[in-house]
Amino acid sequence: MNKRLKWSSLVLLATTMLVTACSNGGSSNQAANNGNNNQSSKQTTQTVSDTVADKDPVTIEFMGHGNPNEKSIFEKLIASFEEKYPHVTVKYTSVPPGEYSQKLTTLISSGKAPDVFYVGGSEFYRFAEAGTVLNVQPYLDETDLFDPDNVWSQALDRYRYDGAKVGSGDLYGLPKDVGPWAFVYNKDLFDDKGITPPSAVAGEWTWDDLLDAAKQLTVDENGDGKPEQYGVAAYSLESAVWANGGNFIDYDTGQVLVNEQAFYDAMQFVADLTLVHGVSPNVEAEQSMNGYTRFLNGQLAMFAMGPWDQPAFWELPFNWDIAAWPASPTTGETATWLGSMGFAISNKSKHPQEAFDLAAFLSLDEYGQRQNYELGQAVPNLIDLSKGEFLASDKAPASRQVFLDIIEDYGRPDVPAFSKDTQWIDLFWQQASRVWNGEVSAQQFTAEIQPKMQELYDKFNK
Amino acid sequence: MNIKLNGYRKKELAWLYLFVAPPVLGFLIFGLTPMLFSIFISFQKWDMISTPSWVGFENYIELFKDEKVFKSLFNTVYLMIGIPIGMALSLLLAILMNRSIKGISFLRTMYYLPVISPIIAVSLLWQWILNQDYGLLNHVLWNWFGIKGPNWLGDAAWVKPSLILIGLWGGLGGNMVLYLAGLQSVSSTYYEAAEIDGANGWQKFMRITLPLLSPIHFFVLVMGIIGAFQSFSQIYVLAVDGGPEYSGATIVYYIFQHAFKYFNMGFASAAAWLLGILIFIVTLIQFKFADRWVYQD
Repeated sequence: MNKRLKWSSLVLLATTMLVTACSNGGSSNQAANNGNNNQSSKQTTQTVSDTVADKDPVTIEFMGHGNPNEKSIFEKLIASFEEKYPHVTVKYTSVPPGEYSQKLTTLISSGKAPDVFYVGGSEFYRFAEAGTVLNVQPYLDETDLFDPDNVWSQALDRYRYDGAKVGSGDLYGLPKDVGPWAFVYNKDLFDDKGITPPSAVAGEWTWDDLLDAAKQLTVDENGDGKPEQYGVAAYSLESAVWANGGNFIDYDTGQVLVNEQAFYDAMQFVADLTLVHGVSPNVEAEQSMNGYTRFLNGQLAMFAMGPWDQPAFWELPFNWDIAAWPASPTTGETATWLGSMGFAISNKSKHPQEAFDLAAFLSLDEYGQRQNYELGQAVPNLIDLSKGEFLASDKAPASRQVFLDIIEDYGRPDVPAFSKDTQWIDLFWQQASRVWNGEVSAQQFTAEIQPKMQELYDKFNK
Repeated sequence: MNIKLNGYRKKELAWLYLFVAPPVLGFLIFGLTPMLFSIFISFQKWDMISTPSWVGFENYIELFKDEKVFKSLFNTVYLMIGIPIGMALSLLLAILMNRSIKGISFLRTMYYLPVISPIIAVSLLWQWILNQDYGLLNHVLWNWFGIKGPNWLGDAAWVKPSLILIGLWGGLGGNMVLYLAGLQSVSSTYYEAAEIDGANGWQKFMRITLPLLSPIHFFVLVMGIIGAFQSFSQIYVLAVDGGPEYSGATIVYYIFQHAFKYFNMGFASAAAWLLGILIFIVTLIQFKFADRWVYQD
């Protein structure tokens, strides 16, 4: 009997250890959370009135993430903000990007949300819906800090929420940046072969031109079947699909569209760059050395970049420039995605006016925006600054206009931007390797996966 | 309780409770409370920021509908192939280490080193070793044996064997130490008696060493299975987003993704409880059958 007791207590102990190990995340306090929703409407209206009149010292907490460059820019910006608003002290925390989302959500659920924090696409949707983030429209209408017409609407509109959908309605955040995903090429490699480089004008350079150039620029010197230099890598599927007139999803109806011909043709085109033409590294080659490293090494002719890649690319020993993404020959159109990260203000902030001032300063202050682009972090959020000195800057890339074209013309919100739960699209990327490695055709794959994606989307987003 | 306590005894008891309090309170506050709370949460839909809503057994029902649950469970069980291999290897090592040669404690330390190394650092190291084109392992395979090594972490078929390999390397030292302790507690009188009866080395090993180590086998097996069910960190580093076609995701990784990527706390809690119950059952079965093969002194 005694022995049995000993054993069973051991079993119990082992199980307890396990269950606690797995469930420690589910335990944050719920009480703080319950009060969250009903406060939302009251606070917005109330606090606009008692603004800058009292100058009691105020401390604002601000949390973000990013590389050391970004951190030092923000430290400088905050210092100049504190100069301008002497009664405000800003407590700035920079968290490693990988931990950011967990940390922020935990802070919010335990009622300790920072006053101002970064917020991205699907997260923004969830926060807006849950009433976590403050409606900044009333502040915006009052402020004389900036002119909303001088801010990219493509960036601002990401932070609108109308009570059901993201993209229209009142503003619940301000853009930190706009991230046009551009097509970049190694100019020296093109010049060496005497090939005309891709055009900066949308629609002039097509998939056929891309294939043609890529074939010439893929070089296997020792003939072992593994090229030392590739034509193109990490070709954006989003760009291909949209250019071809397809879409991942129709957010208005909630219909997943990956099984349409425009989509799978485009996907097959991207897969065939590797499978048929061998001008792009396959999954294995990509895994052993990714496109980014290949491009930096000068072993890759065409690749993709965001503005934040500029500092690293400025160090390169070869010439490079950006161009419009190749257009689909069927439509003659081109497209790419435009990312954005924003600043949101906690609905529970005790000093919403100061928090808003900080967010507006970081988002739109001319000095800060200038710093930001000069250090190669982003395209300015301010239109006049972008079209003026940013465009005139003599730093690479020469065709800076491409960044602006993407913002104004053919850039689209990245796929998950308008869904609060991203499982449906994550599933797609997880399984897509079956197409990339040639196991199944894009048509077959998309037909198989569409119902599963639809199910996930319906379950978690409606 | 009508027993009268004298002053000295009372004081002693007070001290006793004082010393026992921290771990007990720690367990109650940080162990039991969250555990019980997670039962409650598992019946709700909760994303940590909005108000939870009661959904009854829906989370549990959804679990059985998600093919990823079964896929990650399969992956988890697959990884357990490493347990018997690890047991055999660490026993072998322990026998080799169980003799008095020069520098033996240095060797023992070397084999134990992976156990105390941080798992994240070790996983990053293995990521380099297992790189298809530039990794040490494929380099050695090609240069020494002329074998073209696979794409260890990039090929859906090879991710799990890679993880087993890493698990073996990391777990060998710990189990070796356990076996070493077991070997040293086997009384030499058995071997002497066997020698008198004319037993050879193999017979001594099969009839004496192996059976007398059965409590160690049992311990290593039970802990190994629980550990396999719980494996997470190396997956997190080595199989990004669950690896190609979700081939590397274990059940805990699945739970983690739902809890801290999608913030479906209710669903994740339900999955955690399912796993807890599963481990409970498996461990119970192991104990049930233990009487048949585990010798107790």
